[in-house]
Amino acid sequence: MRDYIIRRLLMLIPILIGVSIAIFVIMQLIPGDVVSGILGIEETPELRAMWEAKLGLDKPLVEQYFSWIGKAVTGDFGESFRTGEPVFPEIMKRFKISAELALLACVIAWIIALPLGILSSLKRNSVIDRIVRVVALLGVSVPNFASATLLILFFSKAFNYYSPVKYVGLFENFGTNMEIMILPAFILGSVMAGSVMRMTRSSMLEVLRQDYIKAVRAKGAPERVTIFRHAFKNSSIPIVTLIGMQIGGLMGGTVVIEQIFSIPGLGQYTLTGISQRDFPVVQGCVLFIAFVYVIVNLLVDILYTYIDPRISYS
Amino acid sequence: MKKLFALVLALALAISLMPTALAEENVLKYGVDADAAGGFDPHTISAVASMRMIGQMYNTLVDVDEDLNVIPELATSWEQPDDVTYIFHLAENVTFHSGRAMTAEDVKYSFERILDPEVGALGNSSSYAGDIDTVEVVDPYTVKITLKNINAPFLANLSSSYCSIVDKDVVEANDGSLLLADGGTGPYTLGEWVPDNSVTVKAFDNYFDEAGKATFDAIEFYVLTDASARLAALRTGAVDLISADTAMLDLVENDDSIQTVSYQSRNYTGLFLNVNRAPFDNPLVRQAINLALDREEIIEFAFNGKATISGFVPASLGHWAVDVTENEYYTQNIEKAKSLLAEAGYPDGFETNIIVGLLDSIRDTGLVVEQQLAEIGIKVNVQDVERGQYLDAWNGHDFDIMVCQNGAGSDPSRAVAFFFKTGSSANIQDYSNARVDELCELAVATTDTAKREEYYKEATNIILDDCIVAIVASPQEYFLASTALQGFAPNASNANNFAGVTLAK
Repeated sequence: MRDYIIRRLLMLIPILIGVSIAIFVIMQLIPGDVVSGILGIEETPELRAMWEAKLGLDKPLVEQYFSWIGKAVTGDFGESFRTGEPVFPEIMKRFKISAELALLACVIAWIIALPLGILSSLKRNSVIDRIVRVVALLGVSVPNFASATLLILFFSKAFNYYSPVKYVGLFENFGTNMEIMILPAFILGSVMAGSVMRMTRSSMLEVLRQDYIKAVRAKGAPERVTIFRHAFKNSSIPIVTLIGMQIGGLMGGTVVIEQIFSIPGLGQYTLTGISQRDFPVVQGCVLFIAFVYVIVNLLVDILYTYIDPRISYS
Repeated sequence: MKKLFALVLALALAISLMPTALAEENVLKYGVDADAAGGFDPHTISAVASMRMIGQMYNTLVDVDEDLNVIPELATSWEQPDDVTYIFHLAENVTFHSGRAMTAEDVKYSFERILDPEVGALGNSSSYAGDIDTVEVVDPYTVKITLKNINAPFLANLSSSYCSIVDKDVVEANDGSLLLADGGTGPYTLGEWVPDNSVTVKAFDNYFDEAGKATFDAIEFYVLTDASARLAALRTGAVDLISADTAMLDLVENDDSIQTVSYQSRNYTGLFLNVNRAPFDNPLVRQAINLALDREEIIEFAFNGKATISGFVPASLGHWAVDVTENEYYTQNIEKAKSLLAEAGYPDGFETNIIVGLLDSIRDTGLVVEQQLAEIGIKVNVQDVERGQYLDAWNGHDFDIMVCQNGAGSDPSRAVAFFFKTGSSANIQDYSNARVDELCELAVATTDTAKREEYYKEATNIILDDCIVAIVASPQEYFLASTALQGFAPNASNANNFAGVTLAK
């Protein structure tokens, strides 16, 4: 097990190098650069040359890449081309916000999806099942920017309510922070809930058809034990896989919701970096998101061994 | 029982008194469409979104009023012993936010910073302070600026935030950058910036000008990029003021708690034709395109009717403007356009690309133009590009037709020379007309306003008759505010002027 984890962590190195090269190449290929963003309409050849020299963009591309990666391996992700602020502390600050949003969304998704998914599989083809399936389909198919806008309009029209506009951290003021986070988390959670619900239902149905469930029931075990200890636990592998992927995706994938609700998370930082062609910011954010994604997946794989003792990585 | 009653009464009294004791905070909450980009260094930031805060934090030597008159700011008066020398007398009670008094040395330092090639300041061009030869400190409150050559609009150009006066000590304490520091003298100081969420500026108690003093304890700018979220925030009172687009206006028409504030901008939107590329190198084709446009229809569709037909020197530039409504190419004439195209050798029209981006009004203009040019047989492919691509097309002069929204500035040296003089950085069409160049040179080299007006009007008419652009309209800019907001009267010279503005309780 320990060897496995070390092996997986070592695999991070080629993954991150690959990602960093890809980002570097893509940033070079896309039109526009940071200097034209800084100078706007005032751009002249002299000003451009000056800013390129100031930001080190006049050096050969290979040299630019290696000077960046050389610092990155020591944990120095460089400074933003625009503000001059170091990138890494800002990423950590933003990560906490995005992680909180992602976790809240997950909790909301689980609260909605798991009980309903189980219920739906047990009452297969009943009215409840049909309703749950329609709700799940809605959750999956309504784009979150649409539901976000509708919810904002609904609350403002019906209750004259708008969530606090000034962002406050979780540890500064718990109540206000929750008030800011709950709506966006609910929207993200409801989208996740749709697919988790569907996965729970189909996975449960498959397990419930197995012979050992019949054996458990024949043994006279109470229905509660049959469902939770035997059926649900054994059907949870694909659900955990799905949730793991969703958490990874939420790290950078909350950008639309962050923007609508003005939440200063990692997604918005990445987007601002991209639109300003702020290479150190984009590179830092994408690498960090890739890192989180890999770690979350590793945790999921480790979790498998607890859910299903037959799985082992030796 | 009596005791309990007394206690309850006392508590109730205490509670009822408490809110007044805490006093409602006197803060203006302003919902804006974009976050400050890059920070707040007045010399190196060109982003309009950042200017909103920079304008509160910094002062310039002079300002320009609504009617383009140069008015005192940090300089109480000035004189011009000759055409290239300016002597400014500074207000003596100005303090920086650091608490240090501002003197002529700071003015000298500020212009040295702007002219320092290592800084890459945006004001280092002849449109701003680039023509400065020397800055001398005459006495602590008098400064003499000598130009390398006559630059007629120099004084007005000093009102740009690119020419702000900054605190040397603060610049040096921050390794030469004011992006995240505050080295200003303005009515508000930089508070907290939470990128992608909010920027707070706080009242500066020692502001030198009584009339311009902060009326709020703070102004909080909230980044609400989503238009419907911004409007919902205003409706619910989460913010007091928002930047608005014309599409919002109909939605609040019947809302008594919301007022609309607007001003006529000095911007204009129009088509820029690449005169060095066939078929736009043919004047007949350019005339045909101008004649094919129904500008009223574009205004109706792209600006919801909230714009006026304009040339590239809009009417808001006062006496400098040329009345385009009389211009023969401003009235739609499909038949004539078709015959001009035929004469030019394109009886069946041709196919071309038009680049749009940045703003909804630019994109919508492109869409209407596509339809209107189809009427004379020109097939237009509208290419809606992302910001970076748009700027690339602009800087690389790489386009057939490009729809742009430009600012005409406060002087025709901007409106005419900056965009149309040979070799100027914003002449994206690489247009070159010897007479226009000559007129621009003449106009900048004389301080005689009547003469300048004559030169610029001649140049303007030459460019209009060459039909190298098909300018459509000059838009109105809008704000929506709670009716509690009083005294907010923005204008094109100062769109975010909060002097004297209050919130009624």
